[in-house]
Amino acid sequence: MASTKILFNNRLKSLLVLAGLAGAVVALRLADIQLLRHNHYLQLAEQNRTQILYQTAPRGRIFTADEKAVAANAPAFNLYYLGAGPKEKDYLTRLSNDLAPRLNSTPEEVSKKLDQALKSGKAVALAENLSPKSTMGLKELQLYYPGIYLLEENKRSYPYGPFASHLIGYLGSMEGRDWKNRDLTLDYRLNAKVGKNGLEKKFEKELKGRDGGVYLEVDYRGRVKRVIEDRKWRGGADIYLTLNYDVQRAAEEGLKNSLTGRGAAVALDPRTGAVLALATAPSFDPEMFIPYSDEPEVKSKKISEYNVAVQGIYPPASTFKIITAIAAIEKGGFDPKKIIYCPGHYDAGSRVFKCWSTHGPVDFFGAMAASCDVYFYTVAAQIGPAAIEKIQRMFQIGQPTGIDLPGEKAGNLYGPTRRARNRSFWFVGDTLNLSIGQGELLVTPIKMAQYAATLASRGKVWKPYYLDRVVNPHTGKVLTQGKSEQIGSVDIAPGTWDLVYKALKHTVDTGTARRVKIKGLDVYGKTGTAQNPHGDDHGWFLAFAGREGGKPEIAVAVFVEFGKSGSGVAGPVARQMLEAYFKTEQSQHSAAQEKTEVLGD
Amino acid sequence: MTAYKSTSQKSTLDRTLFGAMIGLAVLGLLCIMSAVNTLGFSNAVVRTHLIALPLGLMAFFVGRSFNYQIFDEQWKPLYGIIWALLVGVLLFGTYQRGSKSWFVLPFFSFQPAELCRVLVILVAAAFLDRQGRRIRDVRTLILLGCLIAPVFGLIMLQPDFSSIVITFPALLVLLYCAGVNVFYLAMLLVFAATAGFFTLAWTYLYLHPELRDYAMLNVFADLSSNVWYMLGFVGVLVVLGYLVWWIFKQWRITLPVFSIVMVGLVILAGFFGSVFVDRQMKPYQRKRVEAFLAPQSDPQGASYNVRQAQIAMGSGGVWGKGLFSGTQSRLGFVPEKHTDFILAVVGEELGLWGTLSVLALYLLILWRIVAIAYMASDRYGYLVCSGIFGMFLTYMLINFGMLIGLFPVAGIPLPFISYGGSNLVSSMLALGVVQSVYMRRITSG
Repeated sequence: MASTKILFNNRLKSLLVLAGLAGAVVALRLADIQLLRHNHYLQLAEQNRTQILYQTAPRGRIFTADEKAVAANAPAFNLYYLGAGPKEKDYLTRLSNDLAPRLNSTPEEVSKKLDQALKSGKAVALAENLSPKSTMGLKELQLYYPGIYLLEENKRSYPYGPFASHLIGYLGSMEGRDWKNRDLTLDYRLNAKVGKNGLEKKFEKELKGRDGGVYLEVDYRGRVKRVIEDRKWRGGADIYLTLNYDVQRAAEEGLKNSLTGRGAAVALDPRTGAVLALATAPSFDPEMFIPYSDEPEVKSKKISEYNVAVQGIYPPASTFKIITAIAAIEKGGFDPKKIIYCPGHYDAGSRVFKCWSTHGPVDFFGAMAASCDVYFYTVAAQIGPAAIEKIQRMFQIGQPTGIDLPGEKAGNLYGPTRRARNRSFWFVGDTLNLSIGQGELLVTPIKMAQYAATLASRGKVWKPYYLDRVVNPHTGKVLTQGKSEQIGSVDIAPGTWDLVYKALKHTVDTGTARRVKIKGLDVYGKTGTAQNPHGDDHGWFLAFAGREGGKPEIAVAVFVEFGKSGSGVAGPVARQMLEAYFKTEQSQHSAAQEKTEVLGD
Repeated sequence: MTAYKSTSQKSTLDRTLFGAMIGLAVLGLLCIMSAVNTLGFSNAVVRTHLIALPLGLMAFFVGRSFNYQIFDEQWKPLYGIIWALLVGVLLFGTYQRGSKSWFVLPFFSFQPAELCRVLVILVAAAFLDRQGRRIRDVRTLILLGCLIAPVFGLIMLQPDFSSIVITFPALLVLLYCAGVNVFYLAMLLVFAATAGFFTLAWTYLYLHPELRDYAMLNVFADLSSNVWYMLGFVGVLVVLGYLVWWIFKQWRITLPVFSIVMVGLVILAGFFGSVFVDRQMKPYQRKRVEAFLAPQSDPQGASYNVRQAQIAMGSGGVWGKGLFSGTQSRLGFVPEKHTDFILAVVGEELGLWGTLSVLALYLLILWRIVAIAYMASDRYGYLVCSGIFGMFLTYMLINFGMLIGLFPVAGIPLPFISYGGSNLVSSMLALGVVQSVYMRRITSG
């Protein structure tokens, strides 16, 4: 063995030990990769092999009370190039030449995208948001070109165009702030559309569904091997509004066709405070913000997001005379039969206050019907401003109605107490201005509707609400239930109400509000013309109505900006709304006949 | 050793070594079948491999039945065969993937360089065996260099980079075990390190031109092309050598001038070697080096392959995704999955247990080779086993190292597992020779 020692040294053994050590290092590193970092690599492997072609879920629909879907969904198509199929230059050139005209694009642009798909090895969207009509031809092309793939998704649509546009709002692309504030529990993608205004924004979380997607298994070159999962989208929650389609439609049409086409009209159910109509003019078509990519885009997207119905504040003018009257009756010793002579003006000592006409001798009903200013100047001077302010506070003038809409204005209460709080003096002239609803009084159209509803319900001050319920369309479960809420009451004697009702009925039957006289209905109304130092006067019209002998079912406030007259301009709108509500077949003929006689107040 | 001679009849087959080899081959066959499942030529690949396996076994038994001492006696004809094969392939071979390294025959293709890896070891071992006590002499090394360098040159003409990468370390192991002076081996390593450093550094600068904005790096990058810079480098080296000698002299240690000059010359040789390589290197080869230097820098580029292989292994976890179920390999994210990256397939489909099994079987084979080396009846048997040990050690380290990010991607198959008939046959032949050493070992019985 001695000779073997010389022949064989121990060097090979030491190398074996080194090999063992190296093996140990390798084993540790393998354990590190395959055991400790397994999840990390598994995720990467999944990312490698899957490509998701997203399908936008249908947004929850928005219904009116009579189940008309005013915001719904339409199919939209995305065209993908999957990178499968032949890759010859000739094939690609033919493909881009055939596709370009159907995608409103040039062959160069299409082939650029094809190149990108081939280079990245992933499917690339050649066109997104295509309308169904242009996809007919593309479906045909799909047969000739195996690499292209048409995938359906959903797009918001507004079947009734500008219907309740200011209430419903519109959609838009996510901007920096939307992206930052997005709900992380919802799967927003960069090209997602989100609610920008109105209910679309307010109920974004409920309306947005869960996007679906086709999960494709792709190989290293992006060639689709198979569909791993076709995850169906889940639509968002449906919203049911209290809006009455016909009344809303009538309000919008009416405002649109009015003298200036600007204003607001609100209708409430005086029994609950539910909003039957909430219209602002001019309206807009929310569809223009989300056009199909193959349709011509609307050039000018300038719209007025200013929602006059809840944000516009104006003097209530003569419609306020009802409060003055209530204050006078409640004060006691008021004789409706007492005649006051209207010479066309009222002498307040230092200043002469004019009436809008010369009415001669008028009693309470006559004054109300003709909206005689002098009568109310006289009454107000007798009862004093504090009494009027007291009733005003009962109607919650100067406070927001509390409707669940952003940016509602409070308006302004006008009275000696308020003036005193502002450390200023109250003059006789203020009392006179207050009595006919001018001066510093400011209200919003929604406030006026609430006011009308309070009159119609004999004293119930409602918080207007438009949301009936939010429903999960899959389970039918009601997620949110809107409810009626009374936030105050006008506690006055029943006799006072009877007198006021009689006067308002009289106004409709014989007076300035004759515009809304409808056969078979008990209609009560009052007009108003708000003085506007900056231009034409604004027109107000207040009405509520019930079936003959029944309780009032609808209260309406119409405001036409620069309408000059409440009776002639705002009146027809109110009439159309009432007619729409009661579906009375009042002959248009008699309405036209009445129109010839323009009445002011 | 004792366990193997206890039986009355002398065992002629090291069952552990044979079993480990067969185990790897079976594992390899399964993984190749899985890896190429989706490829268009899948059937052809599996068929070829199924033909190569019995051929390899045949080579194994032929190698075992031949008395290995014949290779010692007939080393000159063997050396002649190497030349014949390598010159032949340059003359009659076929280009495949940019290198002329294939004999394409009517029924099969054959890569002679694979066989030459084994033959070179046999020849070098025979040469070293003959040197006897002169083994520590530097002349032995130089003579061996003269013998092997032309062979390497022929291989580089193809070019077949991976054969050099395998054979050079195997020869180093062989030299070390033969008892060559460690100082000379160290010099060889210094040479390799110098050449490697300059090559890697220049390649990196070549691929990152923006770094040239730094003046020093710019000068460094120009070293390979500017003659004056080169002369400056030589000058600096001479001054440095003298300085080292002088400093040590101050400490009353007189270094032999010979060794300092030697080190300097070796460094210079390495430097000019890499200047030569740098001028020869092709862009795709530079990319391979790049992947080693900065694996994360270019996910779609050269390091993409390593990255995908690691994802495959990591996603396999402990138990793997199951045979025929690896997404990374099946969908083609792992490149060269049935050849150079077969381990990634093992890792993805069989998990940590799969990769550890392969590692364990390799270590088992290495252990058996070493054990047999010390049983050998003569010095030649010992040397042959050392060389073959070095070869398999290199295969193992490079293949695993490549996957775990320790070595650059060199395109080297993993013997017995990877697809590739030539490699399988010559690897099995090598183990057959080891078995031959085992069969003719010294027994006390």
